[in-house]
Amino acid sequence: MSSHDLKPLPAETRSSLLSGHDWIALVFVAMTFLIPVFSTNPQVLSQTNLILIAATAALGVYIMQRLDLMSFAVPSFMAIGGYTVALISMKLHVTDVLILAAAAFLMPALCAIPLGSLILRLKGVYFVLVTFVLTEIVQLLLFEAGPITGGANGLVGMPAVKLFGFELWDNPHVLLTTCGLAVLSFAITSLFTRTFRHEFAAIETNDVLAESLGLAAWKYKAMAFSIAAGVSGLAGFALVNMLMTAHPSSFAPMSSVNYITYTIVGGKASILGTLIGALLLVSATDYFALSGEMSPGLFGLLIIIVTLVARGGVVGVVSGLLYRLVGKTTPLNTGETGHAAQEHANQKEGRP
Amino acid sequence: MDSFIATGLIGISLGSQYTLLALGFTLIFGILGVVNFAHGGFYVMGGYVAYYCNVILGLPYPVAVMLAMLSMAALGWLFESLILERVIEDHQATLMVTMGFYLVMATAILMIFGAESPQFPFPVTGVWRLGGIYFPYANMIVLGACLAAIVFVYWLVYRTNIGRGMRAMSEDLPVASALGMRTKALFPFAFALATGLAGGTGALVTPILALAPHVGDSVLAFSFLTVILGGLGSVTGATCAAFIVGLIEAYAAVYLGGSKGALTLFALVLIILVVRPQGLLGREVRRS
Amino acid sequence: MTRQALSTSALHADRIAKSFGGLKVFNDVSFTVPAGGLLGVIGPNGAGKTTMINIFTGRLSLTSGQVMLGETRIDGRSTFENALMGLVRSFQQTAIFNGHSVETNLISALRFSKRDRSVLERLAPLLDQFGLIENWHRNADVMPYGLQKMLGLAMALATQPKMLLLDEPAAGLEKSERVNIDAYVKFAQEEFGCGVLLVEHDMEIIKRLCPSVIVLDGGRLIAEGPPTEVLSRPHVINAYLGGSDEEDSDVTH
Repeated sequence: MSSHDLKPLPAETRSSLLSGHDWIALVFVAMTFLIPVFSTNPQVLSQTNLILIAATAALGVYIMQRLDLMSFAVPSFMAIGGYTVALISMKLHVTDVLILAAAAFLMPALCAIPLGSLILRLKGVYFVLVTFVLTEIVQLLLFEAGPITGGANGLVGMPAVKLFGFELWDNPHVLLTTCGLAVLSFAITSLFTRTFRHEFAAIETNDVLAESLGLAAWKYKAMAFSIAAGVSGLAGFALVNMLMTAHPSSFAPMSSVNYITYTIVGGKASILGTLIGALLLVSATDYFALSGEMSPGLFGLLIIIVTLVARGGVVGVVSGLLYRLVGKTTPLNTGETGHAAQEHANQKEGRP
Repeated sequence: MDSFIATGLIGISLGSQYTLLALGFTLIFGILGVVNFAHGGFYVMGGYVAYYCNVILGLPYPVAVMLAMLSMAALGWLFESLILERVIEDHQATLMVTMGFYLVMATAILMIFGAESPQFPFPVTGVWRLGGIYFPYANMIVLGACLAAIVFVYWLVYRTNIGRGMRAMSEDLPVASALGMRTKALFPFAFALATGLAGGTGALVTPILALAPHVGDSVLAFSFLTVILGGLGSVTGATCAAFIVGLIEAYAAVYLGGSKGALTLFALVLIILVVRPQGLLGREVRRS
Repeated sequence: MTRQALSTSALHADRIAKSFGGLKVFNDVSFTVPAGGLLGVIGPNGAGKTTMINIFTGRLSLTSGQVMLGETRIDGRSTFENALMGLVRSFQQTAIFNGHSVETNLISALRFSKRDRSVLERLAPLLDQFGLIENWHRNADVMPYGLQKMLGLAMALATQPKMLLLDEPAAGLEKSERVNIDAYVKFAQEEFGCGVLLVEHDMEIIKRLCPSVIVLDGGRLIAEGPPTEVLSRPHVINAYLGGSDEEDSDVTH
C-alpha cells in the first residue's frame, strides 16, 4: 500500500438515541400534566386537550415524512382506534385506560400491515392517492356499517375510562388521559424514528442505493406505516374520550389536511415541529375565531408560504436564527448528522 | 330493461364528465409530474364563474361556460408560472402548494358566495323519451359537449406537435429535453389546458349535479379513483376508467342505493391495486 | 478459499436476453465470472452494459435465460436479497446518502448488509488512501466528485460482497484519480476475495487489470478473450467506430 503512515480509523462517533428536539418535545408534552394543577378554567383545559390531540394525530404524518411519503391516512386510523375503544367500552364494558390504549394502538397498527404491503410497493405518488382515497372509504364505511358503528348517529354515551379502578370522569381527568396518551405517542414516535434513523434517512435520500446495499426498504416502510397508524389510533382514542362519542364527523377526510399542515408549517424535519405546528395553528384558529370556515384558507396560505420560502417551517427558521445568534455551537437538532448537516447548509449559502 | 338502458345512459354521461376531469389530471401528472390537488378547486370555481356570469350577470349560458373555461385556464397558467414552477423539481413541494392553493380557492369561494348552494338551473329542461327510456335533455347536451371536448383533447394529444411534445415528455422527460423540446414552455400550457377543462366541466356539470363550495373534495377523490384505476399518466387508461367509474356509480345508485356505489368502486380499486398496481392501462411501475 | 466457497460465488449468465417492448436490449449472452476472478465488460455506449447490471441485481427482470450466483438462481429476485447474498453493485454516477457524513454513509452500508465495524478496520488502508479518513466527519455530498465516487465504491465493498458489479467506476474521475480504481479492484480481490465484473470505458484500466474481457455490441457478445488481443480484432474495432456516442445513463436515485 502507500508509503506514508496509515491514518487510523477515527473512533466511532457515539450519538445519543434521542436528539435534543426529541427531548424538548417530550418534556414539553409531559409538562401539560401540570396544567390541571394550575388551572380549572374549562377554556384552558379544552384548548390544551385539542392541541395535544392535534399534535398526536399529526405524528402519523411526521412518521411517514421520515420516508418522504405524504400520508392522508391519519383520520382513517384515528377512526379505527376511536371506534375500537368506543365499542370495547360500550359493548364489552372494559373501561381500563391501559387496556383501551393498547387496543387503540394495536387495532389500527394491525389493519395497516396488509394495507401497507399493498400500497407501499407503489411509487410515492400512488401512496398519496391511495391514502387520500382511504380516508374517504373509512368515512363511508362508518356511515354504512350502522349495526356496528351506529351509522350517522355514531356511538354515543361512552362510559368514563378508569385507571387502576379510579374513574377519570371530569374535565381535568379527561385532560390527564389525553396527556398520558400524547406522552406515550411522542415517546413511541421518537424512539421508533430514532432507532431506525439510518434506515429511514437512507430510504428518504436514495432508496435505490439503500436496497443495493441490502436494505429491505419495504419492511421499514411497512413498519413505519403500521406505527403511524397505531399512534393515530391513540389520537382517535383521546378524541372520542374527550367527546364521549365516536362520530364520523370527528374523522372527516379533509381533516387529514390539517394534520399535514401542522407538521409542515411547524417544520417536518423534527418532532418538535409537529408539536409547535399544532400548538400555533390550533391556537391561531381559536384566537382569530376563524370558526372552521376560514381556517382552511389560512392553512392553505401558510402551506404555500412555508413551501416557497421557509422549507424548515417554524422550527427550521427559529433554529436557523438561533444558530446565527449563538454562532458556532451546533444547532439543537444534533444527531450524529448535525455537524454534516450544518456544513451542508453553510456550503449551500456560500459560507465557509 | 328500459330502466337498465336509461341508467346506462346516465352512467355514460357521468363517465364523460369524469373523463374530462381525469384527462386534465393525468395530463398534468404525465407532463409535469405533479399530482394536482387543486383540480377539484378549478372545477368548483368554474361552476361558480358560470353561475355568476349566467345567473347574476345574465349572460347566455354557452358564453358563461366559455368564460369559466377561459378564466380557469388563465388562473391555472398564472398559478403554474408564478408558484408551481418554483418548486417543480420537488414532488412533495408541488403536492403542498397545489393542496394549499385548493384550500385558498375553496375558502375564497366560501367568502364570496357563502356556504349555501346557489340556484343554478340548467337552461334547457325537458326529457327525451323513447318507449320507456328517459334521458334528460340537459344530460344529453352535457354528454355531447363532454364528448366533443374529449375528442378535442385526443386530437391535441395525438395529432398535433404540441401533443407529441407533451407525450414525449410524459414518457421520458430527459430524452424529450435532450431532443430539444422546449419542455418548460409546455408546462404552463399543459397546466392551463387541464385547469381550463376542469373549469369547463364544472360549468357544464354543476347545474345538473350540485354547486356548493365543498363539492371539489369529492371531485378530487373521484379523479384519484379514476387515475388509480386507469394508471397514472395514461390518457386512454383514464378515459376507460372514467367510464367504468361512471357506469358503476350509476348502476349502484339505482340497484344498490346509498353510498354503496362508492364503496363498490373503492373495493374495485383495492382489487386493481393487488392485481395490477400500474392500473388498467398503465405502464410497468418503476421505482421512483 | 476452499473449493466449496468458490463454487458458491461464481457468477454465471446463461443465455440471457432482455427486451423492452419489442426492442431487444441484448440477446443470448452467456459468460462466467469465476469466484474471486475478474472479468472486464466493454462495448460502445448503448450496448446494454448497465441494463445487464440492473438485471443481475434484480432491478429489472429477464426476458429469457438465467443468472446464477454459485448454485442459486438470482434473476428476478429483489435487489436487497441479492445484495444480502453477496452480489453488490456500484453506480455509474455518484451514489451516496446526501446530507450525511462519510462515517454515517459507511456505517449505513454496514448496517444494511448486517456487517459489523470490523469490516471498516479492514478497509481502513483503502479509505486512507482515497482520502476518506481525513474527510471522515464531512458531509459527503459537499466533497469533490472523485471523493464521492470513491465513497460509493467503498460502501459497496463495506458490505463484504462475494461478487462486485462495478458500473464504470472510473467515469468522471481525473486521470490522476484513476489509479484509485486499480487499488480498489486489487484490494477487493486480494483482501476480500471478491469476484469482480468490471464495466469500463477506460481501456487503459481494462488492459492493466483484466486478464479477460467480453465485448458487447448491440446487445450481443461479439468477442471474448485477453483485452489486448480482443481489441485488435477488426470487428471489435468496427463496433467501436460505428457505435454511437450517446450516454447510456442509469438512474442513481
